[in-house]
Amino acid sequence: MDDALIHTLRMSSPPDDVGTLHDLLESVWVDAPQLAVRDRFGFETALVELVGNVICHADNGSGVSCTLSIVTADNRIEALLSDTGEPGNVELRGREMPDGLSESGRGIPLIQALVDELTYEREGGLNRWRISKQLGGRPNSPASAPAVIG
Amino acid sequence: MEFTVKEMDGGVAVVRLSGMLNMVAASLLRVVVGSTVAEGHPKIAMDLSEIDFIDSSGLGALIGGLKTTRQAGGDLRIAAPNDQVRLVLQLTNMERVLTAYEDAETAFSNG
Repeated sequence: MDDALIHTLRMSSPPDDVGTLHDLLESVWVDAPQLAVRDRFGFETALVELVGNVICHADNGSGVSCTLSIVTADNRIEALLSDTGEPGNVELRGREMPDGLSESGRGIPLIQALVDELTYEREGGLNRWRISKQLGGRPNSPASAPAVIG
Repeated sequence: MEFTVKEMDGGVAVVRLSGMLNMVAASLLRVVVGSTVAEGHPKIAMDLSEIDFIDSSGLGALIGGLKTTRQAGGDLRIAAPNDQVRLVLQLTNMERVLTAYEDAETAFSNG
């Protein structure tokens, strides 16, 4: 990524929550005015889902610390998230939207519908997540969303 | 998230939400719907015109509210979502379950 712009956030939950992330993204959008509104809220939705999942499901009771880097370039936006939570025991391949009246289970399929890549690996005692979205594209349909495990 | 509840003719309650409908606000939304139904208003029109952002937790709370109202013989209808909310409804295949009306105050005008 030439001329990439990087924003970094370190957060600890609790007390931080997804509101902390929204605040960071406001500054990202100010610094990267080339991003179209649809790209912004598609990426923001995916990233809030990811961080929300980590805060909700990776906390073993002692809290979760996260380091988040958001990289913006002319044609792509990426987020690299590492967290100290429990291993992300989540299957990324073949995830489908749950039935209409189910109240949960949409987070990962929604991320996959919004970005081009979602990867996860466990390394050095940390969970490492990455999402990447090509700018100017359309969201994926839920049925064709890619499922990539890093 | 903040909210107000306004009773309309015909027993319909208009719940106007503002702010972020996310994992932090989802539990509050469930309480608001539950108490509105318990007070005798199983028909709820959810005005989303001032909701800036929704995630899957907020969507789950809306679906929970829909089930709560239907179990009481009513319904929950949403109105005036912004483009981000519409995108989430579209990508989660929820547009037919949570049909978006233009205006909360007329969402139940056809019954």
